[in-house]
Parts: sequence; structure tokens; C-alpha cells
Amino acid sequence: MYSIETKNLVKKFKDKIAVNGVDLMINKGELFALLGTNGAGKTTTIKMLSGLILPTDGEIIIEGMDMKKDTLKIKEILNVSPQETAVAPNLTVKENLEFMAGVYQIENKETKINELIKQFRLNEVLDKKAKTLSGGWQRKLSIALSLINDPHILFLDEPTLGLDVIARKELWKVIEGLKGKITVILTTHYMEEAESLSDRVGIMSDGKLIDVDTAENFIKKTGAKNFEDAFVAVATGGEL
Amino acid sequence: MRMLNFAKRNFLELIRDPLSLVFEIALPIFLLFIFQQFNIPSEVYLLENFTPAIVLFGFSFITLFSATLIAKDRSSSLLIRLGTSPMKASDYILGYVVSLVPIILVQDILFFVTAMLMGLDFTVNMILTLFVSIIVSVLFIALGILIGSLVSEKGTGGLGSVIVQLVCFTSGMYFPKELVGKVFAKICEILPFESCLNIVRAAFNGNMEIVSTRNIITFIAYTTVVLAVAVIVFRKNMVADNKQ
Repeated sequence: MYSIETKNLVKKFKDKIAVNGVDLMINKGELFALLGTNGAGKTTTIKMLSGLILPTDGEIIIEGMDMKKDTLKIKEILNVSPQETAVAPNLTVKENLEFMAGVYQIENKETKINELIKQFRLNEVLDKKAKTLSGGWQRKLSIALSLINDPHILFLDEPTLGLDVIARKELWKVIEGLKGKITVILTTHYMEEAESLSDRVGIMSDGKLIDVDTAENFIKKTGAKNFEDAFVAVATGGEL
Repeated sequence: MRMLNFAKRNFLELIRDPLSLVFEIALPIFLLFIFQQFNIPSEVYLLENFTPAIVLFGFSFITLFSATLIAKDRSSSLLIRLGTSPMKASDYILGYVVSLVPIILVQDILFFVTAMLMGLDFTVNMILTLFVSIIVSVLFIALGILIGSLVSEKGTGGLGSVIVQLVCFTSGMYFPKELVGKVFAKICEILPFESCLNIVRAAFNGNMEIVSTRNIITFIAYTTVVLAVAVIVFRKNMVADNKQ
């Protein structure tokens, strides 16, 4: 059984087709990077896979459950760290964790919160309001919040966008720590991030999933010097 | 309960915004105090009439700041995060409504205490007014949810101010509607704010005769329609507004 499986996934917004016939199979514990140019359909795909919007057509199967029929059950086992920082700005870091624990009705709330504080080294900012944190800390908090329900599947949408190199490397370490334990779907514009972190990469262009393979195989297949060039070759159909 | 958990978070967000407390509580108290210093020869400025008007004026800021909170939640992607959680639409809407109830009660009590310090006698009707004002506030909270779901954080200031101005000019809090002419009086009757003020004034003074059937129908109709539209627009825009 796959962690995530889609069959002919389609999303139309009025006359625009944002996602066009995507068939995807992601294994349990896999770190899967979904890449593409702006407007390729990555975020729309993630929104459909996370139950935020309904597909126009096609099927989404999460751990054997149908997204249309078992939406609430599926929502219990996944979580998302959205593209923009999604924290409650006037709440402290601790209150943010408590709030999200309440959203998922976590039984052993204090234990889970303490575990995340330790894992993300949030102790030094615990009583600070989220809006006063730096971009790096806000992203860390955002990812910590997305782990509050011990998700089986985690969607990370541009997790390191706009962060400095140190903060980015710190977050990479956190994401690497999740590999094998939970299924992670990562979208990013940083090719080295996808290459370094992911088990497999899916490349989208104009709403279609062009190809799925490892970063290494993409380089071999295209005969490119590096993964960035390989990505450009696949995404543009070799036009650049 | 997920709804109460969300309400607690909303309440903390609202009370930690000093500007919202200034407008929701300090400004109405200031107006209540200052208008009593001028001895204006009009019945609307008598404490028993102006205090309930100030309650309604305070509600218009509840609309403004609840709209701002919702618009902020949408822009910060917090609603995307929550949209992927097992929270239901009713948890969101009730969570926003319930979070404002303590603020409304504190507003009312402080307005009543200020009025009493200026000479108004305590009556049991004040306690009745607390209950009635919570019911009336539902319309203002629904307007806040609707505005916050429709426009960006910047836009909430503009639309929220429109509600504040409409309350000031069409509720009859500052002058009787007949003073401005028949057309204006008709507009006041069509809009819900005069009806809301009559209902709160009636409860505050224990004088149900000033509430007409039209007032009750207008209030119920506006509250039902605005709340229904607010729920639909909120559900649609909490996700659809976000970029592809």
C-alpha cells in the first residue's frame, strides 16, 4: 500500500487547468520533492493531497483511504507547513504549540509539546510572541506545529524560502531527521535542497507531472552537469 | 472541544492588540463621558438613552476588529494550516463568535459602571441588557466575519469604518432620524442599526413598547442573512483566496 496515490488528478479554476491528469505514487517514509516552475501546479497539488481543496476530477488515496469519503480520518494523520508562515502572531511559542495540540485533541499534550520543544530547541524563545521571532525561528515553529499530531504524512511547502544559509541548513537537519519516520512531500525552488534531501523527485510543468525519478538519475538521463541543469532540461522539454 | 480551543486563541489575539482595546472600550467610554459634559438639549443624550447607544457603538468596533483578525488569519496562512486539520466549519464560525462574548460583556459592564459613576441608578435591566446585547452582537460579529472573509487586512479598515459610520448616523444614537428628512428616515428603517439600538434601549430601560415588530423582523432578517452569507463566504475564501 502506498502512502499517497493519485489517479488522473485534475484541478480546474474556471477556464484554467492548474493540475492536469497527475498520477503519483509515494511510498511510506519516503521524502518526495515536488518541483516545478512558478505556476506549475505544485501548491495546488499539495492543497488537494492535504484535503484543503477538492479535485475537479480523479482520485486521491491516502494510506488506502479515499479522500472524498474519509476526509476527516485522513486529516487526523496528515499535517502541513504552508508556504507562508502559519502561526498565531500574538500567541507565544508555547501557546502556539498548546493551541495546535488542542486543534488535534492530543491526549498526552504536555509530553508531546515538551518533545517538540526539545527537538526544535525552542526553549530560548518559548515565551516570546510568534510575531517577534525571526524568519528562521518562525519557520522552525511552523514545522514544529505541523508535527504536533505525529502525522504519518507531512507536506512542507517551500520550508526554507527566504531564510539565510545558516537557518536553511538548520532546517535541513530537522527535515533529514524526519526521513524514514514519516512520509514527507516537499516543494522547493532550491535545487540543492531537493537533491540533498529527497529520495525521489517529481517534476511538474504546466499542471502535468513530467517525470519522477531520483535526482541522480535525472542528471544521468539528461546528461546535465548538475541537478539544476537536469531540472531545467526536463521542465522545459530541453528547450533551454 | 476544538471550537473552545479556537475561541481561546482568538480571544488572546484580540486582547493582545492594544489598538483594539482602545477603540472597543476606551473610545466609547470617552464619548459617554464627554457628551454628558455639554448638557445637550436632546433626549438621545440622556444617560438612559445614550448608554445603550454607546453599547451599539462599541459593537461597531467589534465588527472592525473581528474582520481584521479573520483577514490576518487568511493572509498569514494560519487558516490553510487549520483547513487541513480535522476542524469543522462550525468550529471556526462558533470559535470566532464565542471569543468575542467575554469582550462584549466587559464592554457592557464598563459602560454601565461609567454611566453609574455619572449618576445613573443601577437597575436589574442592566443585567437583562447583557443578555440582549449578546444576541444583538451576533449581527456585528457576522458582519466582521463577512468583511474579514471578503477583503484583505488593509481593506477591513475601510469597510469596518463604514459600519462604524453607519451605526453613528443611522442608528439614531446622535440625533433622531426624522431631523434629516423622510428619505434619510426611510434609509434608517431599512438598515438594521436603528432596530438594534431600539432593542438594546428597550432592554436597558425596561420599556418594550419602543421596540416595534418592524425592529424585530429587521434585526432577525439581517442577522440570519448576514450570518448565512458570512459562513458561505468564509468557507469559500479561507482556501480559494490562496495562491495556486
